[in-house]
Amino acid sequence: MDTRQKRDGTVRAMSRREFLKTSAVSAAAVIGSGALPFGAGAWAAGSDVIRVGVIGCGGRGTGAAKDCCHSTAGVKIVALGDLFKDRLDTCLSVLQTKLGEMCEVSSERCFTGFDNYKGVVDCGVDLVILTAPPGFRPIHFKYAVEAGKHVFMEKPVAVDAPGFRSVIAAGELAAQKNLGVVAGTQRRHSAEYRETIKRIHEGAIGEIIAAQCYWNQGGLWNHGRKPEWSDMEWQIRNWLYFTWLSGDHIVEQHVHNLDVINWVMGTHPVKALGMGGRQVRTDPAYGHIFDHFAVEYEYPNGARLMSMCRQIDGCATNMSERVAGTKGTSNCANWIRGATEWKFEGDNPRPYVQEHADLIASIRSGKPLNETRQVAESCMTAIMGRMSAYTGQEITWEMAVNSKEDLMPAKLEFGPLPTPPVAVPGKTPFI
Amino acid sequence: MKSGCTFASVILALCLGCAVGHAGQTRAAQRPESYTEKISGTLVTFDMVGVPAGEIEIADPAKKGAARKVKVGPFWIGRTEVTWDEYDVFVFRLDEPVGVSSGSDAIAHPSKPYGAADRGFGHKGYPVINVSFHGAESYCKWLSAKTGRKYRLPTEAEWEYACRAGRPEPTRDKLEQFAWFWQEKTQPVGKKSPNAWGIHDMLGNVAEWAVGLDGRPVVCGGSWQDTAKDCTPTRRQHQQESWQANDPQSPKSKWWLSDGEFVGFRVLREP
Repeated sequence: MDTRQKRDGTVRAMSRREFLKTSAVSAAAVIGSGALPFGAGAWAAGSDVIRVGVIGCGGRGTGAAKDCCHSTAGVKIVALGDLFKDRLDTCLSVLQTKLGEMCEVSSERCFTGFDNYKGVVDCGVDLVILTAPPGFRPIHFKYAVEAGKHVFMEKPVAVDAPGFRSVIAAGELAAQKNLGVVAGTQRRHSAEYRETIKRIHEGAIGEIIAAQCYWNQGGLWNHGRKPEWSDMEWQIRNWLYFTWLSGDHIVEQHVHNLDVINWVMGTHPVKALGMGGRQVRTDPAYGHIFDHFAVEYEYPNGARLMSMCRQIDGCATNMSERVAGTKGTSNCANWIRGATEWKFEGDNPRPYVQEHADLIASIRSGKPLNETRQVAESCMTAIMGRMSAYTGQEITWEMAVNSKEDLMPAKLEFGPLPTPPVAVPGKTPFI
Repeated sequence: MKSGCTFASVILALCLGCAVGHAGQTRAAQRPESYTEKISGTLVTFDMVGVPAGEIEIADPAKKGAARKVKVGPFWIGRTEVTWDEYDVFVFRLDEPVGVSSGSDAIAHPSKPYGAADRGFGHKGYPVINVSFHGAESYCKWLSAKTGRKYRLPTEAEWEYACRAGRPEPTRDKLEQFAWFWQEKTQPVGKKSPNAWGIHDMLGNVAEWAVGLDGRPVVCGGSWQDTAKDCTPTRRQHQQESWQANDPQSPKSKWWLSDGEFVGFRVLREP
């Protein structure tokens, strides 16, 4: 079944008959696998369409909802949730304009406040798009999986070790329930990256001995504080700049590049030695995060990864990866040089759409993708780098994943919430 | 998208022979004097080249196969494409004292770009890329307010007129002398030979925003990505969805083209 977006941007309409055929396959697969009768088969029995709820209605959530609908026939957005009504209203109006009949959100299926995700998950959806600020992801993911929902979740999926452990556990539950889980590390769904890394895995550059990856760019947006905002509201509306919400930019952005290297290496690093600081972007409007990191990671085979990320205006930019092996080098994205000389040629469908197409096709085939572990480990890789840069200590994977540091505030409610102190290497303790 | 050169004949109301080599002689008075503009509050400058009035026959975007004669000029046009040196002043308000934001400023400034807007191709002395029509137009408004002079984007007629500079377009074998094409990335501005009026990089390096005869935004000329056959004065492109394909937000940025690494612009000044 062709569920992919055509090159001209249109999608093929799917007949009821086709849908039932694929649903039957899913149901059979579920029964055959001995899994619980949730997930793939459960929703297919009662409805023609996959009913999607969006949790986190910012620009990315709105974009992901559109991408999901455009990826595959038979998808509808039916519910929205966001902490803030103004963000939800904007998202709804954009989706109504851009998606037409594919947006079927009634006011009873719009949910706001801290518990908005419960409303969305419990209102009769089949799949949820998790695009709230990353700090909330572990809570939202766990609740969605326990309720038997398929999940598309944006990166990062955790900002601390307790979040990582929770996501890993929920991912295992999703596997037991035969639920699909795809993450917004979209390079994994890019034809260019897939072809290149397949060749690297087949030995095109020999054994990998070194890697570099970069996310060096300027600063990002900031919503100036309004007098009526509590600390909590100000922080969540400027979530990039608070570690409990974003994980800092090494987690929030650089996870993409770290994920590519983990993918190439086939595993996560065993330790990290990092440094970083808050040198230029020091205004309190930017919370307490760093503006630059440089981290050396070591993999089980001894290969070293040199990673750097920066958000400082007016500096050299670079967002890329590179790996060096015993027989050549590659940018992981579209070329290989050395013993093998190769360049990617061919179509590279938009990965932001492809990731949804792949998720939905896998659900319909009864063999849902489950990317939880790979994305969680890449996030944890970034968190380990942050821990090392913040504390100034070398941090092993074992230390990192067992860390007791829970960044979530004790109470999720609008009110006072002091900005955490800026980390000071050599003084900030590892917890 | 490309169009042929059928309507390429340029009819100069002035004489063809009075181009740059003879400036300062008989009709030089009709050609505005070139000058250097300074962006106050910074050390950034850029050069504007005077272009004499004339007439050009160009393809009519409204009617396929038809041509229109358009009177243009006199005007000044950027000697080079707008570089990051200039555009950064606009984006990052580098002309304002640190810590002071002019609240009365009526012109919107771009959002900070997500990712590397310069693609790591090069920054200082390199042409702006990935910039939307709205961004380019807003830059002109900002520059006008700042200098008190009337800067704007060229129309496609003005653009093509300035590109041709009253001469036949360069043959394929001469193109390399004037234009960056079929490169891996953008190149610093002003390194190739200028055209007969002293204007650089009209044909290649980056394709440039202009206002179409039909009023629509249009991108003129070829770029570093193109082969020689698409690096012509008549090349036109309209914005396509693919130019923002990898902008994952909705709505997509109105300032930046996530996939427009071949699109830049130059400014025009009215007398």
